[in-house]
Amino acid sequence: MASACKVKAGDLGKIADRVNASFGRYKAMLMVCTGTACVSARSFSIRDRLALKIAEKGIADDYLVVGTGCNGFCAVGPIIVVQPEGVFYQRVTDKDLDEILEQHLVGGKPVERLLYEDPATGKVHTRMDEIEFFGKQQLIALRNKGIIDPENIDHYIARGGYAALGKVLEAGDPEAVIREVIDSGIRGRGGGGFPAGIKWQSGRRAAGERGEVPYVVCNADEGDPGAYMDRSIIETDPHTVLEGMLIGAFALGAREGFIYIRKEYPLALVRLEKAIEQARSYGFLGPDVLGSGFAFDVSIHRGAGAFVCGESTALMASMSGRVGEPRAKYVHNVEYGYRDRPTVLNNVETWATIPVIMDRGASWFASIGTGDVAGDPWAGSSGTKAFSLVGNIANTGLVEVPMGITLREIIFDIGGGIPNGRSFKAVQTGGPSGGCIPASKLDLEIDFDSLSEAGSMMGSGGLIVMDDQTCMVDVARYFIDFLVDESCGKCTPCREGLFALKRILERICRGEGEEGDVQFLEELCGTIGATSLCQLGATAVNPVMSTLRYFREEYEEHIRDHRCRAGVCKELITYRIVADPCTGCLACLKPCPTQAITGEKKKVHVIDEEKCIKCGICREVCTFDAVEVV
Amino acid sequence: MADRMEITVNGKTVGVQKDSYLLAAVTDAGFEVPTLCHHKDLTPGGSCRLCLCEVEDGGRKKLVTACNYPVRGPVTVRTDTAEIAQHRKILAEMYLGRWPGVPVVQMIARECGVTTSRFASEITDDAPNACILCGHCVRACDEFMIERVLEFAGRGIKRHLTMPFGEVDHHCVTCSSCAYVCPTGAIEIVDDKNRPLDAKAIRDHGMKVNAEMATLDSKQCRMREVGTANIVDVMDAYDLLPVHNYKFGKHPEAKKLYSTTLKAEYFTQGAADACWRGCSMACAKAVDGFTLKTGPYKGQQVLVDGPEYETAAGAANMGCFDGDFCVEFNFYCDTYGIDTISAATAIAFAMEVFEAGVITTKETGGIELRFGAADEALTLLHQMADGEGFGVDVGQGIRWMKEKWGKDGEHAAFLQDIGMEVKGLEFSEYVTKESLAQQGGYGFAIKGPQHDEAWLIFMDMVNKQIPTFEDKAEALHYFPLFRTWFGLMGLCKIVWNDVVPADNAVQEEAHKIPGHVRNYWKFFEGLTGIELDEQKMLDQSARVYNLQRILCRMLGFGTRKDDMVPYRAAGPVTREEYESRADRYDGQLADVVGVDPAGKSTEEKMKILRDFREGQYEKLADAVYRRRGWTEDGVPKVETLAALGIDLPELVEVIKADQ
Repeated sequence: MASACKVKAGDLGKIADRVNASFGRYKAMLMVCTGTACVSARSFSIRDRLALKIAEKGIADDYLVVGTGCNGFCAVGPIIVVQPEGVFYQRVTDKDLDEILEQHLVGGKPVERLLYEDPATGKVHTRMDEIEFFGKQQLIALRNKGIIDPENIDHYIARGGYAALGKVLEAGDPEAVIREVIDSGIRGRGGGGFPAGIKWQSGRRAAGERGEVPYVVCNADEGDPGAYMDRSIIETDPHTVLEGMLIGAFALGAREGFIYIRKEYPLALVRLEKAIEQARSYGFLGPDVLGSGFAFDVSIHRGAGAFVCGESTALMASMSGRVGEPRAKYVHNVEYGYRDRPTVLNNVETWATIPVIMDRGASWFASIGTGDVAGDPWAGSSGTKAFSLVGNIANTGLVEVPMGITLREIIFDIGGGIPNGRSFKAVQTGGPSGGCIPASKLDLEIDFDSLSEAGSMMGSGGLIVMDDQTCMVDVARYFIDFLVDESCGKCTPCREGLFALKRILERICRGEGEEGDVQFLEELCGTIGATSLCQLGATAVNPVMSTLRYFREEYEEHIRDHRCRAGVCKELITYRIVADPCTGCLACLKPCPTQAITGEKKKVHVIDEEKCIKCGICREVCTFDAVEVV
Repeated sequence: MADRMEITVNGKTVGVQKDSYLLAAVTDAGFEVPTLCHHKDLTPGGSCRLCLCEVEDGGRKKLVTACNYPVRGPVTVRTDTAEIAQHRKILAEMYLGRWPGVPVVQMIARECGVTTSRFASEITDDAPNACILCGHCVRACDEFMIERVLEFAGRGIKRHLTMPFGEVDHHCVTCSSCAYVCPTGAIEIVDDKNRPLDAKAIRDHGMKVNAEMATLDSKQCRMREVGTANIVDVMDAYDLLPVHNYKFGKHPEAKKLYSTTLKAEYFTQGAADACWRGCSMACAKAVDGFTLKTGPYKGQQVLVDGPEYETAAGAANMGCFDGDFCVEFNFYCDTYGIDTISAATAIAFAMEVFEAGVITTKETGGIELRFGAADEALTLLHQMADGEGFGVDVGQGIRWMKEKWGKDGEHAAFLQDIGMEVKGLEFSEYVTKESLAQQGGYGFAIKGPQHDEAWLIFMDMVNKQIPTFEDKAEALHYFPLFRTWFGLMGLCKIVWNDVVPADNAVQEEAHKIPGHVRNYWKFFEGLTGIELDEQKMLDQSARVYNLQRILCRMLGFGTRKDDMVPYRAAGPVTREEYESRADRYDGQLADVVGVDPAGKSTEEKMKILRDFREGQYEKLADAVYRRRGWTEDGVPKVETLAALGIDLPELVEVIKADQ
């Protein structure tokens, strides 16, 4: 494309005005969530059919259908939000579309049966902002979620996108950008919590001293089970990641950037590729960014999905075509990273936040969150953090909240608490190598440092909520099992140590725990944590250490009493039908895979312990709570 | 030095080089730390974690692995705190649990105070030669051989050693480095197909070479990185790079032919490209996808093997400081089967003759053959190959051109002085004016002035290892014999001196690189069972060398007059040459010859210098012939042949008249 077609900084406002004016001509815009969760519930079909129906009805000039990125409230998808009034439809199917069209768009009356009913209060909410899930959130990285079409660069520009880049390039002072990022106090959202500005400063210094052109890298190798913040950010707003990288590249003097994204994120990958293509055609990427003379471009590197490749040195080894194994970090990537050049790596969420910091200023960002980071980014945790809320929780979904919010607020106010009348037991933060935090710590104000002190970590922001039917020894065993598979095997403590942990935990879960096991676990965790080559190994012990710290009695019960209070560890439990509540309905007989249950209609059923394989199906199907675990 | 600093290890102060690994400092300080993955000749693995040390840096204490922790500040180190001992115990226990039968594991476990393990499991392997995943073999394959045939596969406890796809990879050069560095015997050589007499002796010395390539080459000649082209940079720096038919030794534009430029702009094959697959030096380089601008293949993309030093220096000799030219010249010489050295030296000679006005465009067929005329030089090369035009003259070599253009007598002396050939062969690309030893190296070489017999310029001028007249004469005895011996055995001589042992400088007779000479003897001994020492080696070689000289004599060469070098090789022929290095030459007149240069004209000074230098060369000839057991005229004496046991009647017959 000829450079005459490229957009200059001064043109951004014009594009925004044009797009906003075109939006203003519609009576309403129907924002269909097309994040991965909703897409898996057929939201692409909903988006397309809705647009078709509107066209067929001849009202396409009045109503616009927009496929957006993840709305966040994944538990109730597929979601349609009718803007500007903000009517929130949930669990929408193809069959509901005519009704929305006729009753709401034409008739002006929202479809009540598709509105959200708060399970706690029973109140039906028409508008999205009335729903408590959204109430306590503060959106920075996810500021455009549900509002823009991620596959349309104009939508991003209409929301002020690339203006921060324009401002930075116009000022032309890379050092000032770095100062701003330091002053904002932003710490790496990938889990390490290292102040991003200080990392940039070191990278710029190393590049200057050696006369090398540095690289910037975006880590989109989110590998924690149950965590999908980074994927959602890219699916929702890929341009904010690119704009963040552009600003970083300018500050560092980089000319090339790389996004390392796992191949099993197909939707994010497609949106990212489109975004890069569009940014190039507008001249936001390329030899003359925004007509400033600054040159920068981004390429995508697809990872094959090894958890360890989220570790920055392993990631760079993988990018270089070598086996994805970490190296010692005594010499940091900011000095010798990709291709031995100074390399600044940040994760998706960090890059996505940068444009807002540059736009609204360091002190605004620093005022959000905990601690006073004005003089020292280590002194607190500023800004917001995205979390994915999963597990035994009512409102599964993606949230962005200010640092310093309590676990209680996230889990009970935003997350709607524990479903099925069960009670809260623990929350696992920070992915598989995070720790389990008990109910006694629910009022913990979460930030990088408080989570570490509690024996867990921020990680990339996964929150797995567990109810009282969760066995904490089993949880530790589960995560260690995952990590045994994902350890690269290079260093001895992680390779041999995690395997040993797994064997001991399995033994305890089988009821074969021995006196001294807990001490050995502690001893072993101490060495694995202190001597592992990379952070995967160093933090892998957190699930064991934290459960030992907060739920030690469960270990002891397993070992001494051969008892699993949560009723999870099969070798330690027996299923029994309690005579009183059993109505003799026969419901549990048929699904039992081993025909272990006998009984006649209206007579108390009996489980044959010999035949029972403790699969728990009977307990699930029984509507009278007659099956108990002992 | 600014890069040195002091650190404290267990309370003891040690000096260390900045950025060197902590393990060396710990060892230097006299402390030992256990390790199961470190190997002295390989980059640190950092995987066993046993060499754990506590480093206190600015008040903050942390645990690091000594093998790969670079010392960058004045840190305080503890190698054996209670915490470290506890971690080492657990780590050793892990090893002992998984591989209880392996002797090195048992030994390390004992050192760490461990005799039993709580880590025994279903994956315990009690074989004494189990693989303990130290990674020595993987690194040796990569660093010794640049092959990367071995790698670990499988994550976590499934980690195992393999070749790609679990098959025997045909890229494996069967060098056996992996087996050599394996601490447990997990890799075994099942069949040594060459059946040498003593494979171990050969391997012990071959692996020394591999290790030096891996650890020293990048700090010395960078043969793996740029090949012999590294010499361009050095020769230019030492005023020894031939420029304009050997008039000068350096040029401001020579950087365009430096190895750094060639590497950055031309060499495309960073990987190993060796004469034979097992070579750990792999000094050959190549330029892929080069588009030719001239000749029969004009416009085609080709692969060019090179350029090596002599080709790049030949370009400088013609004054063509142009990488594209150098690569194209290289390609067509190879394609036509023309030696790049002879071609470049002959063209450089023709250029000087043209510039001096001895010949004109009338003789050259219209070619303006000035120094730096790259296009014209290529035209001439194509003509030489086609047997057309001026190429017919130049293609027949300098001796032929000298005779043709010197016939009238007017220019004969000048052409003789600047015609860089001996015995009809063109000089290779070194300026020898200031190195009497290299003048002799060229002049006395049996088949003419190539550096294959005695490449003394580095030891004479760069390393200054043979300062006296006697040293040079001895070198001209020893090195031709030593290098002839290489040739007789079919062994590469580049691994002898392009990388030298780290401690070579402190060895007696360092210029001979005794550590490496021993490698060759041991190799011979391992193959044949015959023990070798310096005298035996020289005797083996001297028989052939004397035979060669007699053959030379049979062909009409091989006497003193045939060993004389053109004066350009020994000193400044022209006023321009003298004056360009006036300080050096004036200084030598005063200090060495003992003549005060003040008030003398350049011509007078040139005459005095020439007489002196030619006299030196004659004296060198006397000494060399004496040392070789030859007559004053440079012919082997019958008694020399007798001493060597080759006084065969047919040989004696050839040299009888010269005695």
